[in-house]
Amino acid sequence: MTEDYLHEEGQALGRWQEHKFMVLIGLTITVSMLLVSLSLWLYNNSGAAQLDLSRPGYQEVRDQAKKTTDFSTFSSSGPIDAESLKEFRKMYDEQYGRITSTQNFGGDVMNDSSLGIDSPPVAH
Amino acid sequence: MNRLTMVFFVSAALVLAALCTAGTSRAQSTTLSEEHISKIRQNCVTAQTTLSQLHASDGVLRVNLGPMYENMSTKLMAPLNSRIALNRYQGLKLAATTLEYDRHFGVFRSSYIQYEKSMSNTLNINCAENPVAFYESVQATKEKRLKLHEDTKTLVTLLAAYKTEFEDFSRRFEEGTL
Repeated sequence: MTEDYLHEEGQALGRWQEHKFMVLIGLTITVSMLLVSLSLWLYNNSGAAQLDLSRPGYQEVRDQAKKTTDFSTFSSSGPIDAESLKEFRKMYDEQYGRITSTQNFGGDVMNDSSLGIDSPPVAH
Repeated sequence: MNRLTMVFFVSAALVLAALCTAGTSRAQSTTLSEEHISKIRQNCVTAQTTLSQLHASDGVLRVNLGPMYENMSTKLMAPLNSRIALNRYQGLKLAATTLEYDRHFGVFRSSYIQYEKSMSNTLNINCAENPVAFYESVQATKEKRLKLHEDTKTLVTLLAAYKTEFEDFSRRFEEGTL
């Protein structure tokens, strides 16, 4: 294998083979950018972002999120009798009371006047 | 290649033109007096601070309320429906209400996503530079919050309906008329 042979072989290499390492790096970066974009899109549109209290702006209220481990489950098996109906009624009333006592996005907090962006009175 | 480039630029120009037209038409959709615009510009930073706090507290509220709503269905209503069916009693009304409740829970989730996105957009607007856009965005967000409020009321109404049907089932069970 002479030097001339190696030189000829090098010239015979295509453009792809000549820069294949750079192409590999470029493709890797492109694929990773695509995957990151896809995951960000999914994060924003699946509703996960809206429930993510680790985002900036939620630091002060993060601790107010309650753990829901105290929600007991009614058994789906067993007989239907006065005792089981009583048990269900007790569990249901308890949780229903908790829901109705919680605020539910109501109130006039977004009124123009509350925000100070209402129309000023017309001067006569 | 040249043709492809041309097609690309023409498409990009069309998209830009469409976006500009949409932006202009939206900007012109609300007519505010100069005094009103001036007042918005003057108070909008305070308004954005208030909205930012509301955004955070609503986030926590959603995180707390969501599992409560969901658990009512998955941990109470569905198990009772299964138990009634397993014991060969008639519980169709209860099952139908549960289905309706689940459907509305999906609507609630979707409404919250829309509301949260709208609120985030409102908070990102430079209100001193674009007071009209800010005002319009506040109005849009307000409508979405109202929709969310209505959704929660519907869920509570369905929970109350389920309770009424349960009491009816319970009464008929005790009377032996099931």
